[in-house]
Amino acid sequence: MRTYELMFVVDPRVSDEDVVTMTQDYKNMITTSGAQITSEENWGRRKLAYPIDKLNEGKYVLLYVSSETGKSSLPEVEHRMRQNDKILRYLTVRTDEDLKRAARRQPSGPRTGPSSAGPDTGDGGDAEPEEEV
Amino acid sequence: MARARKVFFRRRKVCKFCADKIDYIDYKDVKLLQQFIPERSKILPRRISGTCANHQRPLQQAIKRARHLALIPFTTD
Repeated sequence: MRTYELMFVVDPRVSDEDVVTMTQDYKNMITTSGAQITSEENWGRRKLAYPIDKLNEGKYVLLYVSSETGKSSLPEVEHRMRQNDKILRYLTVRTDEDLKRAARRQPSGPRTGPSSAGPDTGDGGDAEPEEEV
Repeated sequence: MARARKVFFRRRKVCKFCADKIDYIDYKDVKLLQQFIPERSKILPRRISGTCANHQRPLQQAIKRARHLALIPFTTD
């Protein structure tokens, strides 16, 4: 199963309702291809770290997509976003592999092997805080 | 002799992600990433932050993603 995060930034002059209909459009494209929207976040208006097209703010929308078959219409969605000039930025990230890797590391305890040492004492490094007098 | 020398402590640098057990570095976590971009908005090098190589790599990736989405600046002018 593959999971993705799709984040995009919309022109702040677009009204909130239009942003919702726009995201609904994209969501429909994704769901008709057999993938699911697992959750959705609307960050609303947020200040951009740098101006894009002379705009200082943007509306952020974030979609979490999961696809059982590995099939998703994300390339088409990206294509549509590229052509939509109300969308300032978009980014699709595949997250399943990284999350899995993180999850695998988590239960195995401290990565430095022997977990006999107390909690968080220097991670098995040989050097202790050096004091030079 | 030794007394005369200036007393100083060299704090051992610890990788923040190892210490806090953060395994997935999220590009959306602006607060976290901000700690690794000093004034000029450059990515803080490992030799200064103490981040281990295994975490610096995803950190760098996350910062670049956040920059693309204008969550974090490329530069400060």
